[in-house]
Amino acid sequence: MSSSIPSCSFRCICLGLSLLSIGLQQTAFAQQAVSPVEGTAPVKSADSPSEEPAPSPVSGPVSIPPPASPTSLAPAVPTPTPNDASSPKEDHKDEDKGERKAEVQEERRDDAKNAKNQGGAESAAEPDSGAGGSGKKSPFEMKVTGKKVPPPSRGAADYHVEVGALSSVPRKNAAELLKLVPGILLTNDGSEAHADQVFLRGFDAREGQDIEFTVGGVPINESGNIHGNGYSDTHFIIPELISSLRVLEGPFDPRQGNYAVAGSADYQLGLAQRGVTAKFMAGSYGTYRGLLLWGPRGAREGTFAGVELYQTAGFGQNRDGRRATVMAQYEGKSGAHLYRITAQAYIASFHSAGVVREDDYLAGKIGFFDTYDPTQGADTGRYSLSGMLETRVGKMLIHNQVYGIARPMTLRENFTGFLLDPQEPTQSPHGQRGDHIQVASMAAIIGAHGFGRLTTEILNQPQELEVGYYARGDFVHSTQHRIEAATRAPYHTEADLESKLGNLGLYADLNLRPWKWIALRGGVRSDLFTYDVLDLCAVKSVSHPSKTDPPGDDSCLSQQDFGKYREPTQRSTTTGAVFLPRVSLVLGPLLGISASVSYGQGVRSIDPIYITQDAKTPFASAESVDAGLSFARDLGPLALTVRTAFFQTRVDRDLLFSQTAGRNVLSNGTTRIGSASAARVTGSFFDVAANLTYVRATFDDTGLLIPYVPDWVFRFDGSLFGELPFDKLRIRGKAFRGTLAAGATYVSPRPLPYGERSNPIAVFDLHATLGFWLFDVGLVATNLFDAQYRLGEYNYASDFRSQQLPTLVPMRHFSAGAPRQVFFTLAVNLGGDK
Amino acid sequence: MSLGILSGCGETTGGARVSFSAFAAGAESATGAPLTFTNHQGYSVTLTRAKLHIGAMYLNQTVPTSGAQETSCVLPGTYVAQVLSSVDVDVLSAQLQPFPSPGHGIETEAKVGELWLTGGDISATEDPTVILDAAGTASLSGQSYPFEARLTIGRNRQIPTKDPAYPGSNPICKQRIVTPIFASITPTEGGKLILRVDPRGMFDGVDFSVLPKVSDAPLLYRFSDQNDNAADLSLFQYGLRARTQVYSFSWQ
Repeated sequence: MSSSIPSCSFRCICLGLSLLSIGLQQTAFAQQAVSPVEGTAPVKSADSPSEEPAPSPVSGPVSIPPPASPTSLAPAVPTPTPNDASSPKEDHKDEDKGERKAEVQEERRDDAKNAKNQGGAESAAEPDSGAGGSGKKSPFEMKVTGKKVPPPSRGAADYHVEVGALSSVPRKNAAELLKLVPGILLTNDGSEAHADQVFLRGFDAREGQDIEFTVGGVPINESGNIHGNGYSDTHFIIPELISSLRVLEGPFDPRQGNYAVAGSADYQLGLAQRGVTAKFMAGSYGTYRGLLLWGPRGAREGTFAGVELYQTAGFGQNRDGRRATVMAQYEGKSGAHLYRITAQAYIASFHSAGVVREDDYLAGKIGFFDTYDPTQGADTGRYSLSGMLETRVGKMLIHNQVYGIARPMTLRENFTGFLLDPQEPTQSPHGQRGDHIQVASMAAIIGAHGFGRLTTEILNQPQELEVGYYARGDFVHSTQHRIEAATRAPYHTEADLESKLGNLGLYADLNLRPWKWIALRGGVRSDLFTYDVLDLCAVKSVSHPSKTDPPGDDSCLSQQDFGKYREPTQRSTTTGAVFLPRVSLVLGPLLGISASVSYGQGVRSIDPIYITQDAKTPFASAESVDAGLSFARDLGPLALTVRTAFFQTRVDRDLLFSQTAGRNVLSNGTTRIGSASAARVTGSFFDVAANLTYVRATFDDTGLLIPYVPDWVFRFDGSLFGELPFDKLRIRGKAFRGTLAAGATYVSPRPLPYGERSNPIAVFDLHATLGFWLFDVGLVATNLFDAQYRLGEYNYASDFRSQQLPTLVPMRHFSAGAPRQVFFTLAVNLGGDK
Repeated sequence: MSLGILSGCGETTGGARVSFSAFAAGAESATGAPLTFTNHQGYSVTLTRAKLHIGAMYLNQTVPTSGAQETSCVLPGTYVAQVLSSVDVDVLSAQLQPFPSPGHGIETEAKVGELWLTGGDISATEDPTVILDAAGTASLSGQSYPFEARLTIGRNRQIPTKDPAYPGSNPICKQRIVTPIFASITPTEGGKLILRVDPRGMFDGVDFSVLPKVSDAPLLYRFSDQNDNAADLSLFQYGLRARTQVYSFSWQ
């Protein structure tokens, strides 16, 4: 595997970052003795609140959520800054937050006029109305801290997540933030450069095939990725730069596009902690992480830069790797124009251990954390540039965004050992040469999307109409080769595709409120998908080959029956259009209680490998119904939110992963029925959330369970934070602050092929920090009780030559979950709020 | 909460993985004593020794079709049972002789069985393992042919390829795999897979008169262990590798 950052150099860089911060810190400390940072007068920015239109006097019910604390989601180790320990309901006073308040107020001022008439019930700015001091917030909303004003809620399945103090709970990457919503299970049998496999509401969404992922409006799903259509690797996102997350479990919003079958997840970027923040982490298995964040003081939260360097030797065998990430964004405002430019670059190189056969492990032939094939791993990258312009013209908000992405990816996997190399008559005699798969993909993606949103007042209630468009083109070259174990040379080409994929979508969304306690939201979306796929290896076998020019061992043949010449390529084109109605009815809130019913259809474009000329309906569609009930209220010092939803989703043609094919393969129609429940209680010194999901996922034709989908998933996140109540520990009158955060996951035994069940998963993580002034030190323990668990379990045939003769019947395999790991963290912030 | 109503406890993805014991034996009529029979060529044959080395057994849910499946040793994704330990079976005895280790499989109906006659790597060019060790006497018209057979499967059984377009049409592995042996079996947990071998079928087409004589005193004929002799070919190709009459699978 290539290594762009030598190990020793990497450590030096990380240490350097830390030492640099400490050095700067000492300087700042001296300065603070004269002019404490906390007492510094706000710096007036170019678009400071004083330049904003005056907030509407009736905007009180429009709660202005506090900016997120710098979501200290260290890769494996969050290192909270002092703000992490603050209550999410804390009244922030710095100029940035005031600016944010003014901004939201401006964007919603038209709506806010109507909020008064609603008596503070679900406000016009409902998505933002999370923690209104009135105690009458919308139960379906959680506090939002991102810059983007989110679209109206679609009911109980629509989660606007403010991470808040729960950022202290150990999370490895951006994907793990998804666990804050019900029904999420993440597994990974690849590596840290391989997308997490996501289970959501009974969907084995693999690496994104059934969830639409976006970050700052830029799509993450990769159309035409040969490893899995819709593949979504979120490792390029620096977790600390995520300000909020919206997860909509189901296709209920016309804004949701391709891959929103199980739902969608939209990350919003922002950096609340201004100044320079340096973090360093070191811990188990030679893991080091250095992070440098910069949020120019006086600039908007949407203006930031971040650099992350990460390296690990990995637990067990063959899990070493390293990555580097840069994310930068500038957000500005000029008159009625809000604009944003975002750039991002990411490279990663990791090995992976793959799977272990259970019988070999029990026989002592291989260790729990060992590997059969040390050449497995991934080398990936992602480079993107996007620009957004948002303009308000009267009652119309016009939003446009363009983006470009370059995405190289190489995966090396071996799920089956030596099993899938049949002797073809035309080939030279050979034995099993090895099933190592090398999947490579290079994608160039360009796109644009936008909308116009008209807000007006009818029946003395706020009404909205939004019309939007979506345009995207994917230009992908994908190959899949089999690699010979003995020589590591490719011996067979399984796929070689050049794909040009287009997606144009239009939608209209109405947000009607005929009465103050009734909201009808929904509309239609129509997408057109185009496919132009050039198969560069279209002919793999031939009847009656030429005797004078036999095909031999070639994978891609240039002859057809009886040896007649033909080009080895074949182009296929087709199109598919889909019409997707989506609607939600939201009732309430009344006494804090709301109810909702939602219906929608989602779509997933089909993998280019299945494209044949003029094939009909080249996509899979889903139909989903959701009914929910929720309660949200501020009860004195507590903010309480409870919600539960029941859902049913049917997919006409599903995709399931095949270890033998090494990619997702089509299956028959499926149905999921289940319930998702979540609760969160937030106080002045604690923040506790829990969620529980049950789902029954079955095949329509047989009624049998869909393998690998968990029935029950339970997740707990909790954090205690605040100043330590020990007067003797104060220095210069300043108290130490502390955080104690825990996360727990339980996944019930999952159904496996051949009537079996997996082992349950139960993992407990803990994080403690102690902070004073600009410094925070912490200790993180993941899998605290060192449970030896199997993150993924599978039943299929493989032959890793652990016995003299081939093992050909399905057996249990597993990918090992991480053992207990302990990390030390240090964080320093300069020029921020501390 | 209505979650309980939705409980899916007891539901399944279908099927099951199973473990079972495996046995091999001679024909049910065998007594352990020398076996006398008359073959299709008219010889009265008395077998005094007949041992078969079995490398592995597999049950397959699909019948091999023409094309690649005819030449490939392994058919991906279609196996429902396997017994990976080897055993030397006295096929003159009807007593069940166990394989050293249990078999594993799935609860799916098998259509055919495979018998792997190998001492190790199925694709190895050479394999000195004696697959069939037999001895006895054949008589016809007053002429007696004391014989012995020690058959191996290696380069001596390699079939050269004549068509340059199909260099891989005759891999050595196929000489070691006896298939398809038709068997309608659904493995179940704790069951017994029984292979019965009837040696009479192995010698049914052998013309002992063409066997090479290796000594006069005592008189002894020996199968050449090469594809260069009609008697040897008959024993190997149509006896040892016979898809019918010789081998049968059953399940208890």
